[in-house]
Amino acid sequence: MSIFEYNGSALVAMVGKNCFAIASDRRLGVQLQTIATDFQRIYKIHEKLFIGLSGLATDAQTLYQRLVFRHKLYQLREERYMKPETFASLVSAILYEKKRACKRFCVVAGTASESLYGACEAMFKPDMEAEELFETISQALLSSVDRDCLSGWGGHVYVVTPTEVTERILKGRMD
Amino acid sequence: MKFDTSGLESHGQLVGASDGLFNGFPTAPSFEIPNTTDFDCFQKEAIQMVKPAKGTTTLAFIFKEGVMVAADSRASMGGYISSQSVKKIIEINPYMLGTMAGGAADCQFWHRNLGIKCRLHELANKRRISVTGASKLLANILYNYRGMGLSVGTMIAGWDETGPGLYYVDSEGGRLKGMRFSVGSGSPYAYGVLDNGYRYDMSVGEAAELARRSIYHATFRDGASGGVASVYYVGPDGWKKLSGDDVAELHYNYYPVQPSVVEQVMVET
Repeated sequence: MSIFEYNGSALVAMVGKNCFAIASDRRLGVQLQTIATDFQRIYKIHEKLFIGLSGLATDAQTLYQRLVFRHKLYQLREERYMKPETFASLVSAILYEKKRACKRFCVVAGTASESLYGACEAMFKPDMEAEELFETISQALLSSVDRDCLSGWGGHVYVVTPTEVTERILKGRMD
Repeated sequence: MKFDTSGLESHGQLVGASDGLFNGFPTAPSFEIPNTTDFDCFQKEAIQMVKPAKGTTTLAFIFKEGVMVAADSRASMGGYISSQSVKKIIEINPYMLGTMAGGAADCQFWHRNLGIKCRLHELANKRRISVTGASKLLANILYNYRGMGLSVGTMIAGWDETGPGLYYVDSEGGRLKGMRFSVGSGSPYAYGVLDNGYRYDMSVGEAAELARRSIYHATFRDGASGGVASVYYVGPDGWKKLSGDDVAELHYNYYPVQPSVVEQVMVET
């Protein structure tokens, strides 16, 4: 198994009508052994900006700490929050990506990413309201991680609208 | 089946070699060696490449009333779950069960083969084969194929004239008699629960619950185990399937979730 499959992860994000949702699984493992079932993969940068990091957990945590540091400095200098597009450029610069990040409606990452691509293609519709978006993203996540040994053990979904952020824990298969 | 040695005969025997030293003596039989960089180790590398890790959890134990056998039902290929509904407890005959760990094809084939041999024994000797005998038959067959890439980690559980019997047999050629076994990548987790809760004088219900719990705990921690926890009981009248519970349902039965509502109002500045 490659280093990206060492800890196991599943991430999916979708855009709806004036809202977006981001969801992750909750497993942290060491290859096949499950160590934790409440691991946080989605972090809040500010009220309207969330980032989900998949792959090796230690690298994800380090990257998150660096991004928070850069964002806090930006806030102090500019006296405002960073826009998502700016933040995406920051992330891609830190990861030495040569391509600019492009705007997508549906993004997936992690060991279950192939299943997630399929589920999103099948279930996604443009311009969904917040409740429907939550249902869709939850179904896509749970059905994909049920085909992956290395991710799952529950789900964590954030739905963000202009007025509120809703955080929900999903009841999933714990095997 | 006569042992076929035609491959050892050399092509073109040299009788009376030209250099005069080996006059009248034929050269030693020779065969073509494979074209590899590392002749001594290439076979082992090939076996390691195809050898599937025994991603499963199976267990069996003897107690006062008979033998309890349990297994999960997941088949995995690396990280991908290929099936959640594999039958890992194989019914060799009405009073003997075998468990599957390792290569599915290897286990299924050799268990069916064992079933045939057991039936032939019954017909030839007018009595059922003992668990000892059956496990010895399987162990001897697997020993012959040792090093050739078979992957089998099985337990033979049954009830014969001497009472309940349980043997562990694997593709390395090992055969062990015992009271409690667990095989597969989830076995360390299953052993923890099984060893803690085991008593010889349990009732059938208690033993079934112990077996179910052990499989459930293994599926929780091990990524390669999951699906359905099947529990079988082998008694004096033969085997009987007691239950097949989805482990996701078992989880919420053992650890029900208390719904909690956490309200956090973010102040808009």
